[in-house]
Amino acid sequence: MVSQHGILLATGLISDHFGPLVAKVCDCLLRQGALQLQEIVRRLNLPPGQVKNSLLVLIQHNCVQAFSSPSPRGDRTMTLYLTIFNNVLHRLRFSKFISVIRADIPESEALIEGLLQNGRLTFDQLVGRTISKVPEGTIRPAREEIRMNFNRLVSARYVERCPKAEPHFNPQEDEQSTTARKRAPKTAEEVLSLEQKVVNTATLSDPERFSEIPYSMEDASKTNDRPHNVVAGAKRKHGAFEVDEELNSTIAENEVLWRVNFEKFIFCLKKKFCADRKKPKLKVGTHPIWESFFEANLTDKDTNSVTSSIGGILEKLGQKEGGAAMSIGQIQPVLEDLQCTTSTGEEFTFDLHKMIEACRNEEIESLVKKKYGQEAFTIFRLLVTQGCAVETDQIIDTTILDKQIVHSTLYKLWNDGYIDTEKIASAAGTGYAQFFVWRAKNTFREQFVDNLYHAALNLRQMVNYIAELLLEGSKDETKLRNRKNILILALTRHDDSLLLFCDF
Amino acid sequence: MPPRKRPLEPSSGMPAQPDVKPVISPPPKSAPAPVPAPAPVPAPGPEILPASILNNLPGPEREVYKRIYEAGNKGMWSQDIRYTMKLAAPTLTKLTRALVQRGILKEVTDVRHRGKKVFMDARIEPSPEITGGTWYHNGQLDTDAVAAVRRRCLDQIDRLGAATPDMVHKGVEREDPRAGYSIDQIRDILQTMALDRVLEECRSTGEGEFSAVRAGRVCYRRGGAPQGGMIEGIPCGVCPRIDECSPDGVISPPTCVYYKKWLQMDF
Repeated sequence: MVSQHGILLATGLISDHFGPLVAKVCDCLLRQGALQLQEIVRRLNLPPGQVKNSLLVLIQHNCVQAFSSPSPRGDRTMTLYLTIFNNVLHRLRFSKFISVIRADIPESEALIEGLLQNGRLTFDQLVGRTISKVPEGTIRPAREEIRMNFNRLVSARYVERCPKAEPHFNPQEDEQSTTARKRAPKTAEEVLSLEQKVVNTATLSDPERFSEIPYSMEDASKTNDRPHNVVAGAKRKHGAFEVDEELNSTIAENEVLWRVNFEKFIFCLKKKFCADRKKPKLKVGTHPIWESFFEANLTDKDTNSVTSSIGGILEKLGQKEGGAAMSIGQIQPVLEDLQCTTSTGEEFTFDLHKMIEACRNEEIESLVKKKYGQEAFTIFRLLVTQGCAVETDQIIDTTILDKQIVHSTLYKLWNDGYIDTEKIASAAGTGYAQFFVWRAKNTFREQFVDNLYHAALNLRQMVNYIAELLLEGSKDETKLRNRKNILILALTRHDDSLLLFCDF
Repeated sequence: MPPRKRPLEPSSGMPAQPDVKPVISPPPKSAPAPVPAPAPVPAPGPEILPASILNNLPGPEREVYKRIYEAGNKGMWSQDIRYTMKLAAPTLTKLTRALVQRGILKEVTDVRHRGKKVFMDARIEPSPEITGGTWYHNGQLDTDAVAAVRRRCLDQIDRLGAATPDMVHKGVEREDPRAGYSIDQIRDILQTMALDRVLEECRSTGEGEFSAVRAGRVCYRRGGAPQGGMIEGIPCGVCPRIDECSPDGVISPPTCVYYKKWLQMDF
């Protein structure tokens, strides 16, 4: 379940981008979960036409997924709408996605920009848009060139075909199958939210999702202005196979909707985050090795690790300054020291998940240090690393801190919900009536995430407030503009924390 | 905390030398056996005072002394003496004061209950339970001593790169043989430094910077610059009033004093 401030932030984003009406519908769906159209109309007391249009906007921008499900009585099927919270929040980071593309496939930047701005587009629409955006006086790109750039995005999985519009999903059936599975030997199965389950049901299979637009010879000769239709192709004499391929190509260009694959972008940002985070700890001369390791990343096997072959690393290293002279014997110990594991010596794997977990802990600990001081930091770290309840005297002994400081710090941490305490009656003869044991609270991370949402919400509100002041025009405009830029920059940086805790 | 393990190498024949604050004085007859942790000793070293001295004491004083002697290195709280001997407070004060003046008893501070008056045979060293262990002096944490050891350990780590507690201990001893820190003390200090992220606990690979340490051994190295603190750059990150802040409330970003200060919105 999304926290209170998370909902407010998402609604604020939608309101800024699409207006208050769409934001109302989004808010209703975020608070109530999956709802039917009539149900939203009833709850919001708005004309059905407006609600329908709002939903269409949200679906177009990948913020809402529709799915059909049998009604509670089971006599008919109903269509339900569900907000994809993460996709709403991704709207905060479009600039970051563009910078990823700029570094990887710069020639396709305009295409990604078009998809981010419009949510879902056919290739044909995208071509039209790209051509219209070209400044006058410069050469217009050929359709074939655009297609090549587009296919590059698809093969690198930055762009995907849109998921099923309205997949069938029965929450009750799903629950039954889960309980049936529970009887089987326990496996470490992740508990998925309804949102994730619906998204998984709607997602196409990988070959479908990332199949590129087929290439056909005719298109190369076509000009950009010429209407592109099946008849034009069918007039020519071709074998049945060729006609089929051409038909596929036309369908892929004119009918298939494409969108940005957020997963891939998040994975890229995750890799970049981990690579950058480790840089200050690297020893002199090991920077190129670390960079090459990330650049040589083989395939995206999963989103929790980076695997690179030693050959790939050497190749990338050769292109770097001072890297060409390095041998496998030099690289291997460095990679091992950077916690890269290898089984054969051919491929090295770095566990991103482990590092992300460590970074999350570091962030929370750093906040504890800033808020409550060095002693609180030591005590909190002890409780987190021990992972179990620790008695007060043991805390004093292990941390070698003054008793009174420990007592007051424990109280502060407990009061603010970072740690839990329990009173344990003492056995007779120990001289004490009771002991107190302390443990790091399980919910402190949820609380921290809610605070992150709250801080982002406040930054947005402040940006809007300054924008209003600017409109009024009574104050010093340059100063206000500077403040606004500071706030926007702060929000972009703060979004890294949100990514770390919610998306990585 | 898991029980402390002794170092793998047999300790050099040196007995546990006097520490910063002496632990319980070992019975003189015992060989310098490596005791893992100072266990509470029920009957401490010195025997009861010789009859010649005891007989010279007045009856009630003798009785008080005997009870306190029996309490051993944990001492006895004045209230407990009062209850067991059914004495009035002024009487007890008079008796104990006389015994302290004669040098037979001493008053010690219990680290857990600093207000309590605890008496003990003057020849017995109080147990770590009472003194608070090696890092305490007169019932107070000796922060200077702790800081001094931390500094010495850090010097050693800086010199050695990566080192086991044994190596650090030996290094500290070599530099200042009179300091006399025990290996357990060094280990405790290294652990707290790892908690503070000043040091980093890692397992040796036996290569590179770990070439001096046998592979697989736990050792410590410099922790590097602290990371994190992404949320602290904005006022809401460490705001004490964040729970009272809401978009349309009395405290909200446009009315926030911290934001005003941060953005210098005083124009």
